[in-house]
Amino acid sequence: MRPDADSRRNWQATGPITSRNLMAGFLRSVTRAIGASHYVLVEPSLEHGTRSLRIISSNWIFDALEELGVSGLAKIVESGMANGAGMTPRPIHPDHAAFLSADERDALAIYGHTELYCQKLAARGHTVFALFSAGYAGRIDPKALGSAHMRCTYALDQFFHSTRDIEPPSMLSERERECLLWVSEGKTTDEVALILGVSSNTVNSYIAHAIQKVGASNRAMAIATAIRSGVI
Amino acid sequence: MLIDQLTLDGELCEASIEQQPRQPEGLAALRRLAEAIGAESCGVYHLAGAQEALRLVPAVDGAASGISALTRAITTRSADNFARAIAASTVPLWWRHGDSLPLRCATAQCWSAEVQPPLATAPGIAFPTTVERGQAGAVVFAGPAIGIDEVQLCDLHASCFALFAEVWRHRARREKQAPVMSKREIECLRLTANGLTSEDIASSLGLSVHTANQYLTNTTHKLNAVNRIHAVAKALRCGMID
Repeated sequence: MRPDADSRRNWQATGPITSRNLMAGFLRSVTRAIGASHYVLVEPSLEHGTRSLRIISSNWIFDALEELGVSGLAKIVESGMANGAGMTPRPIHPDHAAFLSADERDALAIYGHTELYCQKLAARGHTVFALFSAGYAGRIDPKALGSAHMRCTYALDQFFHSTRDIEPPSMLSERERECLLWVSEGKTTDEVALILGVSSNTVNSYIAHAIQKVGASNRAMAIATAIRSGVI
Repeated sequence: MLIDQLTLDGELCEASIEQQPRQPEGLAALRRLAEAIGAESCGVYHLAGAQEALRLVPAVDGAASGISALTRAITTRSADNFARAIAASTVPLWWRHGDSLPLRCATAQCWSAEVQPPLATAPGIAFPTTVERGQAGAVVFAGPAIGIDEVQLCDLHASCFALFAEVWRHRARREKQAPVMSKREIECLRLTANGLTSEDIASSLGLSVHTANQYLTNTTHKLNAVNRIHAVAKALRCGMID
């Protein structure tokens, strides 16, 4: 069927990834296997209306992370250069990256992050970004990165299964979710009341609760948050 | 053959089968993937419906003609468990037939999960896939001769994502083109989705409140929405903003 796979590419499983330590160990081996020297795994979070990044795991030296900062990492993640599953990985070269400030470009250069790949990983309803970097261009093998992408996805699936709820706690009640759904379809409060067979006051109350539960400041943001996280 | 609609019991609806004079997008790529792993049947499916009514709907069937036994088996009403398993899973799902597994090494088994066979005649494997902003589905292979190792599992799943995105892009292109929005209009929509009021948007972008409202009203009309919340929802759902 398939010719013998290159022995460098065979992956030995050492057991399911159930802890942050195991995840770090796994990411270190992936980093080595693709020819990179560094990795950082970050997760976007939305708390009280402000978007920020949480660093889950990394082998960057602390000074490098501090100088680039969460804002620098966020710029890379939001640059539009993140590679999804099945996409041919495109590299980021910080010294040509217009979306980074001069200080941020310097920070990356000084600490040996000359070529970066930003992989967008989705597992169990969570989206995280893995940045792999190397000290010079061409060091990281894009083909190896392609299969490493799915490997990382599977590892994250195990990691989230062990460390987070299997079913994300459904914060919204069914009625609250229904109200948000109808509002997202353009219905007014009165129309939703008619559809659900309750009073307008009740609908307003459901919506107010929903807004509060998702940490939004108004209806538009509550709808957007719900759609973005797949609740509706 | 590209299948646009099947009735609820998997019966073919004569009027709705599109007989394309040329091969449907993705069929050649799908067949190549199937050949590479020794699969007899294959298909690309998307998930439709919600909760109790979740179903797999065929998008591309790998059969030379007609509907394959695989498609029939996994799109019927009684295959809802299989559909739900796919919707909930990030990793590949496989099933055995007797003693025969589609995987040939322990590491591949470590990454994937076994499910109840949706098809009783051969082992198989389903790769759950998604495109940006929600649309989910799977690429499924079945056959007695499939034997995938860990490297093939990862590579194949990546290829399935690429294939699914390709099939979905063509489907989207066949539907009505999205209206042309200006950068300002999209920016105002995006800020509204992030919870900013018209005043906030105006000061953030250096506009008057009247102008900001005008941009939002424009987007509402262009998207055929009834109000700006509806416009935000539509824009999010079709990937215009994220």
